[in-house]
Amino acid sequence: MATKKVKKDVKATATSSDETMKKILELANRMYADIEKRNSPDMDIPIRSLSNVKYDEDKQMLFIGDKAAKRKFLNTAHTRKFMQTVMVAEFCYNHLLKTGLHTSIRDMYYGLKKTIGDSKVNTVDEQGETNICAVDLEVALNLIREDLNLIANPTGKVVGPAVVEDVGDRIDLSKMGSGGWGIPSVVDLKFKECSADYILVIEKYAAFARLNEDKFWDKHNCMLITTEGQAARGARRLINRMANELDLPVYVCTDSDGYGWYIYSVLKYGSMALAHTSDRLATPQSRFLGLTMSDIKDFDIEEQMIKAEAVDIKRTKEIKAYPWFQTKEWQKQLDLALKLEKKAEIEALTKRGIQFLSKEYLPTKIENKDFLP
Amino acid sequence: MPTAGEDVFKDFKEHSVAEFFKKNRQMLGYTGAIKSLTTAVHEFVTNALDACEAAKIAPDIFIQLERVGPDALKLVVEDNGPGIPKKFLGGVFGQMLAGTKFNVFKQSRGQQGIGATGVVMFSQVTTGKPTKIVTSTGDNKIYDAEVSIDFKNNKAILSNEKEYSGTMRGTRIETVLKGVKYQKGDKSPDEYLRRTALANPHTKITYIDPDNITHVWDRSVDAMPKMPEKTLPHPKGVEVDDMMSFASHSASRTISSFLKTDFVRISSQKVKEIEAKINFDINKRPQDMKWEEAEQLVKAFKEIAFIAPPTDCLIPINEQHLEKALVNIIKPEFYTLLTRSPAIYRGGVPFIVEVGLAFGGKAGRSVTEDVEVKKNEEGEEMVQSEMEIMRFANRVPLLFDAGSCAITKAILDIDWKRYSIKEGPVTVLVNFTSVHVPYTGTGKESIAEEDEVIKEIKLALQDTGRRLGSYVAGRKRKYEREMKRRLLDVYSLPVSEAIGGIIGKKHELVLSKIRELIESKYEGVEEEGGEEESELAEDDEGSEE
Repeated sequence: MATKKVKKDVKATATSSDETMKKILELANRMYADIEKRNSPDMDIPIRSLSNVKYDEDKQMLFIGDKAAKRKFLNTAHTRKFMQTVMVAEFCYNHLLKTGLHTSIRDMYYGLKKTIGDSKVNTVDEQGETNICAVDLEVALNLIREDLNLIANPTGKVVGPAVVEDVGDRIDLSKMGSGGWGIPSVVDLKFKECSADYILVIEKYAAFARLNEDKFWDKHNCMLITTEGQAARGARRLINRMANELDLPVYVCTDSDGYGWYIYSVLKYGSMALAHTSDRLATPQSRFLGLTMSDIKDFDIEEQMIKAEAVDIKRTKEIKAYPWFQTKEWQKQLDLALKLEKKAEIEALTKRGIQFLSKEYLPTKIENKDFLP
Repeated sequence: MPTAGEDVFKDFKEHSVAEFFKKNRQMLGYTGAIKSLTTAVHEFVTNALDACEAAKIAPDIFIQLERVGPDALKLVVEDNGPGIPKKFLGGVFGQMLAGTKFNVFKQSRGQQGIGATGVVMFSQVTTGKPTKIVTSTGDNKIYDAEVSIDFKNNKAILSNEKEYSGTMRGTRIETVLKGVKYQKGDKSPDEYLRRTALANPHTKITYIDPDNITHVWDRSVDAMPKMPEKTLPHPKGVEVDDMMSFASHSASRTISSFLKTDFVRISSQKVKEIEAKINFDINKRPQDMKWEEAEQLVKAFKEIAFIAPPTDCLIPINEQHLEKALVNIIKPEFYTLLTRSPAIYRGGVPFIVEVGLAFGGKAGRSVTEDVEVKKNEEGEEMVQSEMEIMRFANRVPLLFDAGSCAITKAILDIDWKRYSIKEGPVTVLVNFTSVHVPYTGTGKESIAEEDEVIKEIKLALQDTGRRLGSYVAGRKRKYEREMKRRLLDVYSLPVSEAIGGIIGKKHELVLSKIRELIESKYEGVEEEGGEEESELAEDDEGSEE
């Protein structure tokens, strides 16, 4: 494996545990002071929906506006969320930051779930509730997930001609067998060696497994990553760091439907829910490799197309309206999808042969630089 | 005693009365197995109440229904009334139209003398057996007999007559009814008696139902209702045939004096006004009045203004008394009552509308059986109830023919949603009091949809509806406030643990401060409504696990 010099050693901009604790303590002290003054304790949480998420054309990524919602204890429409947010803060403060331990958001969910006193009410019913509160706290205190010592269950796999060091372990990503290396939730690793020419991100694990068996990454000298559906923070952070620190182009391959295109959108521009941390998670240099609507004709898989459902059409229309999708090329693709009212999955290529993806489709597209912006 | 009933029955001479009864028993309320039973109970109970009231005795009535066959029930009704003197017994129970109320212009419950005899007949026709009567006027002599009816001659046949000494006052009737059915619910004797107790607060009713369960509705007030006065007709309430009938019975020598003496509110001045509008001589004998002349008079009456009729002949339930009965029997959480001032319909018939609205307690009809059971936030089943309508005419509960009744029409005309009481545990009680109740049909179970009657009922319902509406709305606000406070109380525990845990203070201390905060917020003024938190984050990330 040829060794490529690692260009720059970008430092993670994480906040130290002490500083994070200080921020949480300040918040709690302010709340207690409010309570003593007989005022409702509250916290300001920046809004992370389309109304407060803007597109930065220069940086080519989403960022969060300055609108914030007040979450007040005494407003009974907020009380439950308020409680859950302070519970998350206390959990991170006492159980994680004080001890220097990390745990998963799932573990935290179980740690916080209980029935309150002699009522019939649970503190938390579904993990989604504490997940959101963790992000709320993160945004409210201007922190990142890693600062709270919280991790998500890892999703996403990577293989390729590179060596990384993770918590002191040296990992050769070219020797990951058939399964690939599970991308950790907190990508706090060091790139030791890398000879790849580009990064190929593929939405589906099935396609990743096919390409891995065909040793595509070895033959074409690339990093091969699957996000296994919508990309988790770990995969997004890894792609962001490899693209920036190793200066590699990124090609993304998803299904040809609203969900697939949105996966690309999140990888490239960032997501609305995590718009506060786009510069760490988004990779604007990403290019869309496929599956495009044009590919379906060019590669003769029209028969494999599926009728688009109402939700697909709705999603497609939403994407078409995003300010960051207003390029000629994308509008043409989306118009075509809306006109045909059809969609196609990556697996449609299997019709042309099991290895058609690795032997024909991908090499042709990459060689011709047939990408969408 | 000779009655106009004899005239009525003259036409039926060729047929036996039994045939008449069999053919026409629906006219007397004997249609269907369920209704027949309730009608029989109604007749005896009404008679008992009327007898007690006439004698100024606070009624204490005992009713028992006992199953004696697959479609047969024995009915026992016993009162503490004045008893029936031996010589009148046959007349009361065995002769059609022998009552004392027929053709008298006076507010009454009764059914023109057919009632009690009708039950005896029904029993006789369905079982072939007589009805047993035990009665005493309280003179230490008890009279015991069996009554049946000689249909051909419309006469009572008394048999097994016995007389013995003993202390008793009142009347006990025992009769067996066949082809009847006891079914709990809106149209049952149970409901009839409950409503009777409600509209007759001076009455004690003890009832043993066919399942041998004893129900007691105690007297709510000791005061006896005032007895209704007899009254002369008011000119606005007279139709042409009434006019002809009154004129033919008049003792006056001239129509002019007939008008002044046989009607209320007709003065000499008014006679002059009338005279100016007609073209015949009012100094002739009333008996000589022609139909066409009667028409002129009725027309003149309609055009002339008269002082409203005296209303002392109308005895409504009385608001205070009804209130006590309502509280006693329905035990509502909230109630409101209204007695309208007397009004007139058909131009001259006085009537009074009384309305009661009750909320909570035993008010409303439970509908849990028919609909999906709703649960509240705590997961407890909530009893679903809908509006219960109680119709009364002169204190008599009307259980049947609700669809064609002015009371039902008025209630349906009200937009209850405006008072936030469309559903829920609400009982609407309407009592229509009049000398002449405009029943539809002979079943006497519904009041004709006279515009004035509907208007009066609606006005009363709107007033009381507003009062109940503001209570319900306030109750809802209070309930919501309590729910919010409870929610804050529950959530303050984990909040105190979390904040205390971060700042290093005991959670009990933080909790007590939070409770003080909630207390300060919830004492006195109402807090602003909690607004939904705007959607903070788009769910665009898929699952993060």
